[in-house]
Amino acid sequence: MLNHSFIPITWLGFFFAFAVWPMQPMLASSKNPADEHVKLELVSEQNAVVPGKELWLGIRFDLQDGWHTYWTNPGDSGEAPRIEWRMPAGFEAGAIQWPHPERLATPPFADYGYEHQVLLIVPVRPPAELKDGQTQKIAALVRYLICKDVCIPGQKQLELSLPAQTHALASQARELFDAARSRLPRPAPRKWKISADSIRDEFLLNLKIGKLDKAPQFFPLDAEQIENAASQETTAIPGGIRLHLKKSKHLLKPIARLKGVVVLGPGRAYVVDVPVSQAPGRATRN
Amino acid sequence: MNRNLCCGLVITLLLISSAYAVKVGEPAPDFQATDSNGQVHKLSNERGEFVVLEWHNNGCPYTQKHYESGNMQRLQKEWTGKGVVWFTVISSAQGQQGYVTAQQENDYLKQMKASPTAALLDPQGDVGRLYSAKTTPHMFVINPAGVLIYDGAIDDKPTTEQSDIAGAKNYVSQALEEAAAGSQVSTPTSRPYGCSVKYAH
Repeated sequence: MLNHSFIPITWLGFFFAFAVWPMQPMLASSKNPADEHVKLELVSEQNAVVPGKELWLGIRFDLQDGWHTYWTNPGDSGEAPRIEWRMPAGFEAGAIQWPHPERLATPPFADYGYEHQVLLIVPVRPPAELKDGQTQKIAALVRYLICKDVCIPGQKQLELSLPAQTHALASQARELFDAARSRLPRPAPRKWKISADSIRDEFLLNLKIGKLDKAPQFFPLDAEQIENAASQETTAIPGGIRLHLKKSKHLLKPIARLKGVVVLGPGRAYVVDVPVSQAPGRATRN
Repeated sequence: MNRNLCCGLVITLLLISSAYAVKVGEPAPDFQATDSNGQVHKLSNERGEFVVLEWHNNGCPYTQKHYESGNMQRLQKEWTGKGVVWFTVISSAQGQQGYVTAQQENDYLKQMKASPTAALLDPQGDVGRLYSAKTTPHMFVINPAGVLIYDGAIDDKPTTEQSDIAGAKNYVSQALEEAAAGSQVSTPTSRPYGCSVKYAH
C-alpha cells in the first residue's frame, strides 16, 4: 500500500491549470450545498518545504454528524474522493494513503467510508533545489461525495503556502497525521499465514494469526468481488480464524487474488493480498 | 384486474425468497408493476423484445447527471426507436428522496422530454429488491428470450460530472448492440454506481 506512484507536474500542465481553473463553475468562490455538511482543509505535516525531502500533505474532512464520505472502494454506492494537485514545477505528488474504512450498513446495502473526521494523506516530493525562503503555493481541487439519507457531490479548491527552508518543524496538524497513519493498513507480520480459497459461492479467508478478541472485518479493495452487505461469518481454524465472504453475483469469472484490508480492531489494520486457490475436488461456482 | 394484482404479488414474493434471483445468463425474474398512467406491465409479456430496466431517483445527483445532460433521454429515444422496451423503475419509498406520485412522474417525464416505454412506480420496492437494484442509476438488459444479459452501471465513468459522459463507454448500448448482432456481451456486469436506492426501511 505504500508504493507511491508519483505523477510529475509539468510546467505546461501548471500554466494550463491556473489558466483554466478560474473559468470552471462551482469552485471556491461559489457556495456548494455540500459546504453545509462538511468542512475541508488542506494541511501540511511540516511548517516548511525542505528541498528534495519528502513532505506529507493531507486533505481533512470534518463531517457533520450523520454524513459520510467514501473509501477507495466505496462499496455498494457512493464514490471515493479525488484530488487534483496544482503544485510548483518539480513537485511530485504520490497516491492517497487510505486509512482503513468503517462499514456503513444500511440494509440491504453496505458502503465503505468515513464518518466524523478523516485525513487523507499524500506524500509529496519537492525538487532538490528551491530558493531559500521562497513561498511555495500548493493547491488541490478535491471532488467528493457526501451522503446521509441523500447524497451531495462537492468540489472544493484548497490552498496552502509554505516557505522553502533548509529545516522544517512539525506543524500544528502533526497529530492529525499521526492519527491517520495509525489507521493505515500495515503489512501483515511475517509469522502470520493468510490464505484464500474459492468454494462454491464463498471465498474463505484463512487468517492464521493467533487468538483474536473479536471477529475481524474484511474490506475488499476491488469492487464487485464480494457481496458487501453479507455478514462475514467466522469459524475457528487451527491457529486462527476463517472468514466466510459471500461472492458478488457480479463476479462471473474466477479471481486470481483477493486483495483488501483486514481490520482486527482500532489501529490494527493489515494488508491482505493473497492468491485464491480453487479448492480441489469440490464443485466451484463462479 | 384485482386478481392479477394479487397473483402478481404472490409470484413476486416467491421470487424474492430465492437467493440470487437475478444473475446474468439466467432468466430474468418476472414481475408486474403499474406505470405512471395506471397501466399494468408484466415483464413476461415482453418476450420477443429486448428490455432495459433503469432504476431512477430524480433527486440523486448521478441520475441528474444523465438527465440534465440529456444522455438518458437520448438512449431512451434511440433504443425504443429500435423496438427495445425501456422501463424506468422508481423504487423510492414514500417520504424518501425520489418518491413521486403518478402525476409528478408524468410532469417530470414531460419536463425532461424523457421517453421510456413506461415509468413503473415501485414505492414498496418489490421490483427493486427482486432485482437487487442497488443504485440510481442501476441498469439491466434482458434479451428477447427473457434472459438477463447485463447487470450494472450505465457507463464506465462513475462520477456526477456531465463532462464525463462524452468519453464514457456506455455499457447498456454496448450490451444491446452486441446482443443484437448475435455476439456475446463483452461486459455483462459492472459495479453499478450512484446513490443507494431509497427503499422503505
